[in-house]
Amino acid sequence: MRVTQSMLSNNMLLNLNNSFGKMSKLQNQINSGSKITRPSDDPVIAVKGMGYRRDLGQVEQYTRNMNEVNNWIDTTDESLNQVGEQMKRVRELVIQAANDTNTPDERAKIKKEIDQIRQHIQDVGNTKIADRYIFSGTNTSKPLFVEATPPNADGNKIINADYELYDGTGVPSASSDKLNAPKGDVEIEVYDGIQMKVNTPGAELFGNIDALMDKVSNLLDPERVSGPATSEEISEALGGFTTDSKSDDITNIHNKILEAQAEVGARQNRVELMENRLSLREINVTKQMSNNEDVDYAKAITEMVTSESIHQAALSVGAKIIQQTLVDFIR
Amino acid sequence: MRSTFMGLEASKRGLFTQQTALYTTGHNISNANTLGYSRQRVNMQATQGFPQAGLNQPNYPGHLGTGVEAGSIQRIRDEFVDRQFRQETNKLGYWESRSNAISQMEDIMDEPSQYGLNAALEQFWKGLQDVSTNPENAASRKVAISRADHLAESFRYMDKQLKTIQGNLGNEINVATDRINSLLKQIAAINKQVQEVEPNGHVPNDLYDARDVLIDELNNYIPVSIKRVASGGNASAVAEGSLTVVFKPYGTDKEIELVNGRDFASIEVNGTVADSSGSKQINGNDLSNVFSSIQISGLGTTESITYDQLEPGKGKMLSLIDSYGYDSASGPKGYYVETLADLNKLAAEFAKAFNDMHKQGYDLSGGQNGIDFFTTDSGPITAGNIKVNDEILKDPSKLAASGAANEEGNGKWALELANLQSKSQANLDGATFNSFYQGMIGKLGTDGEEAYRLNMTSEKLLVTLSGNRASASSVSLDEEMTNMITFQQAYNANARMITVVDETLDKIINGMGRVGL
Repeated sequence: MRVTQSMLSNNMLLNLNNSFGKMSKLQNQINSGSKITRPSDDPVIAVKGMGYRRDLGQVEQYTRNMNEVNNWIDTTDESLNQVGEQMKRVRELVIQAANDTNTPDERAKIKKEIDQIRQHIQDVGNTKIADRYIFSGTNTSKPLFVEATPPNADGNKIINADYELYDGTGVPSASSDKLNAPKGDVEIEVYDGIQMKVNTPGAELFGNIDALMDKVSNLLDPERVSGPATSEEISEALGGFTTDSKSDDITNIHNKILEAQAEVGARQNRVELMENRLSLREINVTKQMSNNEDVDYAKAITEMVTSESIHQAALSVGAKIIQQTLVDFIR
Repeated sequence: MRSTFMGLEASKRGLFTQQTALYTTGHNISNANTLGYSRQRVNMQATQGFPQAGLNQPNYPGHLGTGVEAGSIQRIRDEFVDRQFRQETNKLGYWESRSNAISQMEDIMDEPSQYGLNAALEQFWKGLQDVSTNPENAASRKVAISRADHLAESFRYMDKQLKTIQGNLGNEINVATDRINSLLKQIAAINKQVQEVEPNGHVPNDLYDARDVLIDELNNYIPVSIKRVASGGNASAVAEGSLTVVFKPYGTDKEIELVNGRDFASIEVNGTVADSSGSKQINGNDLSNVFSSIQISGLGTTESITYDQLEPGKGKMLSLIDSYGYDSASGPKGYYVETLADLNKLAAEFAKAFNDMHKQGYDLSGGQNGIDFFTTDSGPITAGNIKVNDEILKDPSKLAASGAANEEGNGKWALELANLQSKSQANLDGATFNSFYQGMIGKLGTDGEEAYRLNMTSEKLLVTLSGNRASASSVSLDEEMTNMITFQQAYNANARMITVVDETLDKIINGMGRVGL
């Protein structure tokens, strides 16, 4: 076959072009850290990559949701814990007050402390996370306790009229919207299709506590309408004498608080399990995504170096071939 | 009896012929880098010997040579390689243009990345999840709504960009049509010149070269075949004649002449819709004007070539038509047309499913507002006009995030909306929104891969073929240098011969008859 200069130079140009193309692709891979820059580089990787991105996005979102869950549950736990502590103090005070050795004056002093505790528990019932009342069910913009109009002289708030305080007798009825609403569950999705209840609807619990506190405070009031309470009457408020779990005495209420705390604690355990699961999933998806589309640097750089040396060889050989023609030798 | 000066004449012929060869060598060297140039060769032949046959021929022993003449100057060309080259060049024309069109689409889709439609969808679902965890928070609602706005904008942007490129492709069809017409005209013009000079015995090699370049380029656009028509008169044996350029509709035996001698046809690439001036020529201004036929007129009857009569995978023109869009029995088809249709389908189904779901939720004021989340200014929702309802943009509380009346802290409906992402849609062949779009990208990727690979293959094949062609036709400087020395030495030798004859004549003329002087 006849070979001419123009064939040589065309071939050389073509080969240089090819090796530039190869190097440019490798350079792209090394710079971006990704095997592909457009779908046609490898359609399978591209489509799988989109799927993994979606999975990873979901896991990220669930992790974010999980922070919210923790916020709710930790705050609820902390609040209920405080209420429990306060109830212990109430029990002590009532035991102390039940002694008939107390003068009405001393009982009035104890009542003052009880009143303070009542107000504190009301405040706890109005606990907020970023402007949301956590014990108000799904009606998170309405507090459980509101200022009475006109305000009570003793500073006590009254239960929000929207909630029609559950009076402790009978079962709360779902037929009334007002009772139904504050019981609503706030749920947050923490995994594909798994929604976790994060709130503890407090209208009933805090309503019962407030009714009890009102009763105790009334018993200790020296100016009670039906006359000063006897020690029996006071100690009855302590409870534990009957097995009637519905009666609103201190023991029963305390048990209810403990129940609520136990439920929150159980949820905390579940949250921890879910968090582990999420972080495992994140690691897995990230790994899969990386296997799918991340460049193997050792391989890419080795190939790059190989291409570079081939390119240089092509250049120097080309330079030698192209500059020489017969013209250089005939004078 | 030979003439006295016959030796001088014979050598003079040698001088002239070698000079011709030397000048042709010079011409070859000058054109070493000319596109389409084929090296030329002087066909030397011995002149008629002495004596010639005749009644009164001198009786003479043997047949005395009388020197050399340049019989013809011929270009060196391998017609078979030319044919192969042209068959391959229309494949390259097709795949080059197609990979170009797909590459532009890939640039717009921009996947996989953090910026494409996939990411916009993803962000929107995440925004809704955030609303579900903070339903009473105006900020989280605003974020979700502005992400919806961004999503709608992504749809509109892609639609607009794809249409812009589709328009460019239409315009390219117009430009290619002009180019084809210009090529036909130039080929006919060269034919005319060839027809004029060949009967006089001339061989216009450089015109042949120029004509071959034009035919190569024409084949890049549409597959054509050529036939030779020899010139009459005193045409040389190596003359190539005028070329008839023929287009054969695919699947038929018909032959449509595009160029015949000095006459040429003109083509028009027509769409389905006539513009205000009545022309149907595709120019990319009206995207609904998809390809319907190529009209070939000017040589006899007007012929109409439909899409089915264009051979698949051949020629840039067909590739442009495939990308831009063409009319078929089942409505407009074509790469951009179909991708835009898919995008519209996705946008419409997405908006519909989302709106239907959204209407069942309760907004922050506690009731069902029943308004559409995604709307348009007019007409049905498409990728080009989808937008977020202004009412919702103005008042984020209208986003129906709650699953029950009067529950501001209830984010269940936002969650339902967010979970639409994993619901399969009957109207999208059972795919989810994300997977439908992933399918689009997957198709784009495989089509792109195919186009790039075939482009590469035909490029490589073409390189081999142009190597073969160059092997026959291109100028080798070394060869020309060798020839130069050969011809120069031959010239010198002829000159020396003249000196020898001169000396012999000198002996006779000046040295004879002077005995004793």
